[in-house]
Amino acid sequence: MNFQVRPILTALRRHKAGTMLIALQIALTLAIVCNALFIIHQRLGNLSASSGVDEANVFVIANMWADMGQSTSQIDAQVRADLIALRQLPAVGDATPASGYPLRGGGWDNFVTMTPDQVKPTTDSAVYTGDEHFIDTLGLNLVAGRNFRADEVMVMGTQEAVTPPTVIVSKALADRLFPDGNALGKSFYAMGTTPSTIVGIVDPLHRQGVDQWSNGYAGQSLIWPMRADDSRGVYYIVRARPGQLADAMREVPKALYAQSRMRIIDPKDGIQDYATIRHKVYDSDRGMAILMGIISVVLLAITAAGIVGLTSFWVGQRRKQIGVRRALGARQRDILAYFLTENFLISASGAVLGIVLGFAFNLWTVTHFAMDRMSLVYVGLGVLMLVLLGQAATLAPALRASRVSPVEATRSV
Amino acid sequence: MLKMTHLSKVYRTEVVETYALRDFNIDVKEGEFVAVTGPSGSGKTTFLTIAGLLETFTGGEYHLDGVEVSNLNDNARSKIRNEKIGFIFQAFNLIPDLNVFDNIEVPLRYRGMKAAERKQRIMDSLERVGLASRAKHYPAELSGGQQQRVAIARALAGSPRLLLADEPTGNLDTQMARGVMELLEEIHRDGATIVMVTHDPELAARAQRNVHIIDGQVVDLAEEPRFHAHAAAGNRE
Repeated sequence: MNFQVRPILTALRRHKAGTMLIALQIALTLAIVCNALFIIHQRLGNLSASSGVDEANVFVIANMWADMGQSTSQIDAQVRADLIALRQLPAVGDATPASGYPLRGGGWDNFVTMTPDQVKPTTDSAVYTGDEHFIDTLGLNLVAGRNFRADEVMVMGTQEAVTPPTVIVSKALADRLFPDGNALGKSFYAMGTTPSTIVGIVDPLHRQGVDQWSNGYAGQSLIWPMRADDSRGVYYIVRARPGQLADAMREVPKALYAQSRMRIIDPKDGIQDYATIRHKVYDSDRGMAILMGIISVVLLAITAAGIVGLTSFWVGQRRKQIGVRRALGARQRDILAYFLTENFLISASGAVLGIVLGFAFNLWTVTHFAMDRMSLVYVGLGVLMLVLLGQAATLAPALRASRVSPVEATRSV
Repeated sequence: MLKMTHLSKVYRTEVVETYALRDFNIDVKEGEFVAVTGPSGSGKTTFLTIAGLLETFTGGEYHLDGVEVSNLNDNARSKIRNEKIGFIFQAFNLIPDLNVFDNIEVPLRYRGMKAAERKQRIMDSLERVGLASRAKHYPAELSGGQQQRVAIARALAGSPRLLLADEPTGNLDTQMARGVMELLEEIHRDGATIVMVTHDPELAARAQRNVHIIDGQVVDLAEEPRFHAHAAAGNRE
């Protein structure tokens, strides 16, 4: 195979307009596609992130109180009565009150410090509240320490600030706060004046949010042993017995209304299984990934069409020249190599510019939209994709060129 | 050097078969300068394209430098074209995007020759045609005669066993044509075998031997009454 890089470059210099247009198109496509690939991979990674919850058997009820003027003790009495009723249902395995749940889409989170007077927080953590049934109900994996005892569960009324002395944390938070050793028995502050001591570690436990802010503190969560008796309402997280999710989801609202009619459970969104919760929370991620995918495919198709068009034009224009080359001893594969090399050189020059543009574009999204820095892998992947696309797009016209007969050299037109 | 025996070339369509060459016989010895003449459509160019392995033939035998070429594949034919044959075309056929140096380098690159040897051969052949100072010029910057000299330099650079020239002065004015013809004669004197297709009797007369083709066959000039008519017509033009 004869690659003839220098003469090809010399010839390309005499076809500057076409060459530069295609190189520029490749550069722009690369800049956008590598960023799109990065975003797609990030968003798809979010979609498959583990919540830590036994999602197949767990569902959530958003219970709103009809009378928002109830006292904390009235609410707490109702919550405890509700829980007793729920736990007695034949299709229900366990239940817990909660201030929020993983993948809710947003919710309570606190800055975490190691001392009460620390000005700059060490990190941030999602905050969950629940009773001693929280871990079992969600099916969380307790990897160290113990569960809460019933006597540790506190009550927090509306607008109250209560900091329980014990806490269970996710492994991600434990590792972040105490990277050098066992976090069990160690204390920290979560926007309170009293410390919380770690009694257990679960792994994993996803945050409530899936936004860019939350992704910066991925997997960092804490659970306080508390019934947050908010006058507006409470979430009940319920674990169905295996295979009885649908039955449990039907029975639970009936049981709650049997306890008291003074509540509102939205028939549409008030009771959701985890498949629905996950689908809803990642809607924008999925949409963004699909949009980026479509943009990438369209851009790649336009670029490929441009390359096919230009190469076909050049093959037609150089038919006589190809015949002359064949007459002078070029084999069919030399002609094929000529056009493939030519495209490779154009693609490579476009890629160099595309890499610069791609990183500049990424830097802009980092500065303006708090996006992450793009890894070199995506640029490499984009370059590989465009070079292969260029070669594939060139192949058909190049094969046509290689079949030009050497006798073409003697034709007068 | 070049021997065709009972060679035929047939162009077939669905309804008609046209013989471009029929029972064609020619034997060109090493070191000969042969002019192939004949009227338009007689088969001169077909003979040249087959002789130069630019296209295949239908029947008969063709030995080039002792090798029977009828069964060679495309790669082998390309190799022979590259190493044994030098082409000089009527339209020069220089590549407009490459300068003189790069144009002459084309066949040498296909031979896989090292850069230093390529450069040496290119400069030697440019010296020989008197255009060493034009190495960096593009074809469009040269006169027709100079372009044909570059084409001759390109043909010579590979040290071919056979030079095939297709109407080499057809696109040149009289003065330039004379210069090119003198160059071919000089190359022949240095030992090259040259087969030149031409319709110009004056040019043909300067070759060592003339072969005349009529209706796809070589005819003996002495025994062919039609030749005299053609020749007379040619002389009148």
